[in-house]
Amino acid sequence: MPFIRRYKDLGTNLDGLYEDIKKELQQDKDLTIAVENNGVINNVPFKSITAARATVPRAITGTLREVTITIAGVPDDWLLELHTGAWFGNMLLPGTGGFLIAGPFGAAAGAGASAVLAADYGRKLKNKIKGMVKKHSGKTYAESKIETFIS
Amino acid sequence: MPFVRRYKDMNTDLDALYKDIVKELQNEKELNVAKELKGDVNGVPFMSVTANRSSIPKMVTGTLREVTVTITGEKNDYLIEMHTGEWFSNLAMPYLGASILVGPLAGLAVAGTAGLMAAQYGRKLKAKIKDLVKKHSKEKYSDEKVETFIG
Repeated sequence: MPFIRRYKDLGTNLDGLYEDIKKELQQDKDLTIAVENNGVINNVPFKSITAARATVPRAITGTLREVTITIAGVPDDWLLELHTGAWFGNMLLPGTGGFLIAGPFGAAAGAGASAVLAADYGRKLKNKIKGMVKKHSGKTYAESKIETFIS
Repeated sequence: MPFVRRYKDMNTDLDALYKDIVKELQNEKELNVAKELKGDVNGVPFMSVTANRSSIPKMVTGTLREVTVTITGEKNDYLIEMHTGEWFSNLAMPYLGASILVGPLAGLAVAGTAGLMAAQYGRKLKAKIKDLVKKHSKEKYSDEKVETFIG
């Protein structure tokens, strides 16, 4: 599920923020940068970066497949979208960590806790981004300047 | 939202099916095949291809950002997962096709209908994959051999 935040009146250096996010993705050995889109959409500055998993995972259900971060807007009114994709996320049994199907897929499901799970990764990255927003903003960070959209 | 189908007793040539799916993604001029992963996950064959949008869209809300198709399993019992990602989907107001954004970000919303929309593309690709499954299966396709997981 994508996570979107709108930030207002922070005077944020969006180029600096984007570069730090990119570095963060580059530092993860399980990911490679797959695509970057930088430009303007109807006069609104837009930057988007996608990093994809570089290798075949050891377990598939819930394992991080790709991360996309998009920043759009101007220093005093902008949006950040964080998307983390997971393989076969909708085949997990809620609350149990189990798998909905058996047979030959059983082994491919939850084979270990060492996999980079999309949910975990997304949570950590969200916190890091919060720190980066503070670092690159010229004005004081306050909850009243932020609105979160989750559908 | 990912869409997963399990196919049983179809005797499908999964390598050929995968190759045809890759070709289908390569034929879409707005997409660039960015990542392919092939191997085994705990003894279960696994193939995954991701194509990303190769250029800045004319509008963002609902525009196709990436497609991932994954095939895992064996010729008589396998799963296909199709994921289509879009930018800022949860900022669109349901049923209205409008966006909740105003101010400098309004230009990001619904600037036209010429974009490659994720929902539309997903529907088209799903139908195409069904045809390809039939093409590469030695056994007759029937609804009893197929189970769909959404959500």
